[in-house]
Amino acid sequence: MGIKLDIFRFDEATDDVPHRDVVEVDVPETTTVLDALETAKAEIDGSISFRRSCRSAICGSCSMNINGVTGLACKTPCNTVTNADGVIKVDPMPNFQPMKDLVVHMDPFWDKYHRLKPYLQPADKDEDHERERRVSPEDMKKLVDVANCVMCATCYALCPVVSVDPAFAGPAAIAYAYRFIEDVRDSQRKERIAQISEDYLWLCAHCYACSYCPKHVDPNDRIIDVKRAAIKDRVMINERGPRHALIVSKTIKQTGMLAETEVVLGTVGRFNVRGMIKVTPQALRMVASGKLTPTEMLAGTAAPMLGQPSMKPIPKVDEVRTIFESLEVPVS
Amino acid sequence: MAATLLPEEMPLESHRKSRSAQTRRYGFFPGCVAKESCKELFNSTMLLADRLGIELIELTAASCCGASVVNDVNRDVARVLNARTYAQAEALGLDDVITICSTCTGHMRAANKELLESEERMDHANGILAKFGAKYQGGVMVRHLLWLLIDDIGLDNLAKMVVRPLNGLRVAPFYGCHIIRPESVNGWESARNPHSLEDVIAAIGGEPVDYAGKTRCCGFHIQLEKDNTAANMVGQNMRMAKDHGAEAVITPCPLCHLALDSYQLDAAARWGRTDLPTFHLPQLVAFALGVPADKLGLNKHLVDPRTIMVERELIS
Repeated sequence: MGIKLDIFRFDEATDDVPHRDVVEVDVPETTTVLDALETAKAEIDGSISFRRSCRSAICGSCSMNINGVTGLACKTPCNTVTNADGVIKVDPMPNFQPMKDLVVHMDPFWDKYHRLKPYLQPADKDEDHERERRVSPEDMKKLVDVANCVMCATCYALCPVVSVDPAFAGPAAIAYAYRFIEDVRDSQRKERIAQISEDYLWLCAHCYACSYCPKHVDPNDRIIDVKRAAIKDRVMINERGPRHALIVSKTIKQTGMLAETEVVLGTVGRFNVRGMIKVTPQALRMVASGKLTPTEMLAGTAAPMLGQPSMKPIPKVDEVRTIFESLEVPVS
Repeated sequence: MAATLLPEEMPLESHRKSRSAQTRRYGFFPGCVAKESCKELFNSTMLLADRLGIELIELTAASCCGASVVNDVNRDVARVLNARTYAQAEALGLDDVITICSTCTGHMRAANKELLESEERMDHANGILAKFGAKYQGGVMVRHLLWLLIDDIGLDNLAKMVVRPLNGLRVAPFYGCHIIRPESVNGWESARNPHSLEDVIAAIGGEPVDYAGKTRCCGFHIQLEKDNTAANMVGQNMRMAKDHGAEAVITPCPLCHLALDSYQLDAAARWGRTDLPTFHLPQLVAFALGVPADKLGLNKHLVDPRTIMVERELIS
């Protein structure tokens, strides 16, 4: 079968702008995109550059954008991605600076990983390594999925927050933080939660783009686990992210609904003058357009100060409160 | 019309047609935003239901779905809150709960999946519900109005009901993450290449605009977290839509609507002015089906959609 590979070509050492080359290779349609690229490199143009090593989704080297979808080239059969016209477009991972063809500068990704201090820090040093540090199967079970991470950076490339704000730690680093936070052998749980909170743990936008992890680490769920750990251990919970989660929880418990105005004020901080100045134009625009009535605005602002629900509770709201109390859900 | 999925990947509930679909009486979960800052969404949904000849029975005692946020403080609470909502639907004899918000859809479906797949979790939820005499039997499915339009009404029928086609208005679809991802929870269509909104746009006489931003995130959930990050996500997506010729945006999610409608201005410094009006799905469908424009709350938008509608001679 003839497959046309439409390849992004760029060499930062010599090129100002990228160009594209289309090469045609004769490979079976079940061939992986990586093997098709290997064939092109071996038979047509030896200068085509891409990272690869194991060819079996273990080394994590070959993540790239394939017909608009980012994933491991070694795990992507050509016949699952080929266009109707028999073309496969390959591009470097998004959210990274290209270096040469499909090879990108991975430094921002590794920097965020190194900041985690990604090694166990037990309470006692045991420098002679005289004994095993045993973990029960139950405790280990929590870590197995994350330990499968091959740091291919697919999730980082897919993350829409990273794409506009490189300060965000990104899914892989947060998932790996979880791996140490939940490890019973480690002694730095709170310090690790604080570190990842500073690296914008709470800037995850809940979009599930990272649910396309080729190794099923599912960073999206691990990010939620780390947030819960922060709330449970009360680490940096006066920052906006945790305050937002807690005020949402509080208004649902009080009224059955997510009370918008109170949530905004509670997240930004009622006495945070700078923050308030920032959200005020937005609030006024909402009132001007009729999205929010002045009464709703006032109720949301004033009622919580008097310890009252900021909107009318739903019928049978006591049932909702029973649920919150049975599960001991934190609301502050 | 539903996407092709392997049988084991199909959500349990897709295997059956609901009783609600046969009787045209559905449970209706409007969600918090449609009852608070986007009342125009609630109103236009009810007007659309009337045109479609379906009955939406609002679950008035239902609570918030958890909004993807309460998960951050407790792993069980959203599941049990939603079990309570499903029990209310069952008590009314309804087996199909219709949502009008992508976040409600995703989180209510996730809760339902967790309940239906584990007897332990179902018993745990019912243990708490028993304290106030409620019980969820496991007989409810959750769908978005968008899916109802395609599965139960049908695109051909929808097209036949159109009395005011959109004159080829170029509309960019914006799905909202939680109606498509994760696929293991939603699975109604491909999350990487969905086309339900495009199909609806075409059925009502518009021209769907294809652009990479359609399945990306609007940043709503982090609007208050850090200055400008969410606004830049809005700007990035709307820039793409505009560059592909969009004149307006349609979304099945009021959270996306709020983000897109209110933050384009803040994103203009980095992405340039886009000023695309953002319709709620039922607004534009109801308009095409003949609901008078002044009943759809179009004046409640920050980027006024009436300007382009006048320009394209849809309204005077």
